[in-house]
Amino acid sequence: MRYWSLIFALAAAFSVGAFAYAPFSADWWLPNPAGEPRHVVSTFGREIDALFVIILWLTGAVFVGTHAALIWAQFRYADRVDADGKPARPAQYFHGSQRLEVVWTIIPAGILVFLALYQMDTWANIKFRSAAPRTPVLAELTGRQFQWMMKYPGPDGRLNTPDDLFTVNDLHFVKDRTALIHLKSADVIHSFFLPQMRIKQDAVPGMTIPVWFDCDRAGRYELACAELCGWGHYKMRGDVVVHETEREFQEWQAAKLAEQGRSQLATAPGDPGGDEK
Amino acid sequence: MIVRRRLVLGLGLSTLMTLAAGCSDADLTGPIVYEEQPALTREVEGKAHLAGKPKIQAKARKALEKLYGPAPKEIHVPEGAPLTKDESGRLGMLLANFEQTPEGPKKLDHAGGYGLYRRHCLHCHGVTGAGDGPTAPFVFPPPRDFRRGLFKFTSTPNGARPDRDDLRRSIRDGLHGTSMPAFEALLTAAEMEQVVDYVTFLSLRGETELALIEEGFIGDDEDEDALGDDVVAELVQGVFGKWEDARDAVVNPPSPRTPPSPESVGRGRDLFLGRTKEKLECAGCHGAKGLGDGPSFVEVGVFNRVVFGGDPSKMPERVAKLDDKTRELWKQKLDEWGNPLRPANLTRAVYKGGRRPIDLYWRIAKGITGAQMPAHYPGIDQAQIWDLVNFVLALPYQPELLDEPSTAGVTAEAPAVRR
Ligand SMILES: [Cu+2]
Repeated sequence: MRYWSLIFALAAAFSVGAFAYAPFSADWWLPNPAGEPRHVVSTFGREIDALFVIILWLTGAVFVGTHAALIWAQFRYADRVDADGKPARPAQYFHGSQRLEVVWTIIPAGILVFLALYQMDTWANIKFRSAAPRTPVLAELTGRQFQWMMKYPGPDGRLNTPDDLFTVNDLHFVKDRTALIHLKSADVIHSFFLPQMRIKQDAVPGMTIPVWFDCDRAGRYELACAELCGWGHYKMRGDVVVHETEREFQEWQAAKLAEQGRSQLATAPGDPGGDEK
Repeated sequence: MIVRRRLVLGLGLSTLMTLAAGCSDADLTGPIVYEEQPALTREVEGKAHLAGKPKIQAKARKALEKLYGPAPKEIHVPEGAPLTKDESGRLGMLLANFEQTPEGPKKLDHAGGYGLYRRHCLHCHGVTGAGDGPTAPFVFPPPRDFRRGLFKFTSTPNGARPDRDDLRRSIRDGLHGTSMPAFEALLTAAEMEQVVDYVTFLSLRGETELALIEEGFIGDDEDEDALGDDVVAELVQGVFGKWEDARDAVVNPPSPRTPPSPESVGRGRDLFLGRTKEKLECAGCHGAKGLGDGPSFVEVGVFNRVVFGGDPSKMPERVAKLDDKTRELWKQKLDEWGNPLRPANLTRAVYKGGRRPIDLYWRIAKGITGAQMPAHYPGIDQAQIWDLVNFVLALPYQPELLDEPSTAGVTAEAPAVRR
């Protein structure tokens, strides 16, 4: 019977092995750009990842410790019988050890207090309204069953004017510049999720929530709705395009505005209609 | 010892059973079959039906099966259908997940329009495209029934089949203000084409079914020649022809949008309020303030109570409780599919058929297929349509345009023009 403990040991070793392997695999580790699996693209992403790694080390150490104790106890005390075939040391009822209880309550509590204090700055930087950057709003995002509707201020820089640009599931901003959006919901709770930038914020009906983030690599990323309840949120997948320069962003916006202002299929005869992609 | 053996046996058995049951979705959902039009077997008031004509019914079923395949898993595409060809030139091959070969079904190396439709569209639009999927009762406006080939937001004349671009646009951008989401980030361009093809396929199938019912309705069940092969071939060609004609019927405004000057917006406002000699009555439906609450339609409060005030399936009961006048009005303001209509609230800058000036031009010039928005061209000329477009686009940002006290001249009686 005592060799059952080896099964538990194997399971524990496999778990630890998986975590040790994960950082070396782009598929297993946190989502980062394809060519640079170790590079986190956003400022907050780096902070969040640092917190994640600390927690991973702490829980990992506890996991290894408790499993070592478990396996050792299983191996050491299983199947010990005396000459008569009876258990060498029968099980006994006892009321527990107060000292032990206190110790294993205080240690995790201490760890939790440490984490709570340690992450406060990051949380404040990412979530507190007072920390919101004093930049013009990039766009207003409204979650709706089931898509993200986006409204950019357009050339005049002000929202809710006739030159606003409307897109669906298509978020654009400029590299190395903090993007500030106003997050809304038209119906139910949605969860605005930028996995590569490690930003997640619920969109709550009736609230306008400022969300800000940045990215230091131009490219194409993913926007998702991480809301779990209901089956349709997966459809709220969107494209995030980070432009290299402000100019490139302006060009994209101008092209989109031109399409939004389209009044004819073709300007020249023979042009096979412009809205095919 | 016995206990342990039982445990092992139990573990082994449950593993085996899990393997045997597998994850085949066919076992989970039962056979996937097309649903028949009720008129195929039952009497439908005021419509063609095949009740009491078992022989013609059987012929119609057989014809449909031969043309389009017996079930969604065995798709057959008739010769000459207006669908995309794959690289090797086989028509409609992109629709199926399996290719039927003499050796049996062979899996294709792409998901296929049917598979994509099943994943993304079926839960609302239903297996047959009848707009009767499991989530359909929970959305308003209800999902489109594809089986008549009619689509609301098209670039083609009122009542005509949509252009391929129209379907593509609806799938890619969604229909703002409805539950139809945008699939741009979920589907590749090639996948989008497959979905367009599958939707077209369902429309063709549905239209053929209706054509067979209509043709059979005038036939005699004892007549051996009723619904013969020639007749069916002709009907199918008629169905295909409408789709083929759509491409050439696309409306392209002859001149670009008039610049949205205050003068143009003002002219548009006068048209909207019916103050011009053309006596347009936009305000009769869309309301004197553009709020979508004109007197030609059932009051907003009543509408909301009936449509949203409880179990959707009990809507007819709520309608029955209305007073005679309202009930009569309610009946007049249904779309071609029998769903209650609401004129757009023009102050919210939400346009189901798209917000580009050309989209609004299409809505005003040729109306909305199946809805009560009539075609206004050539009742007004295209410069006037652009004035109206400019007014509609300005209204959400300048609500004071309709603030004047003298909105007199707005009449309560807007004609219920259909198509
Ligand atoms: Cu969502």
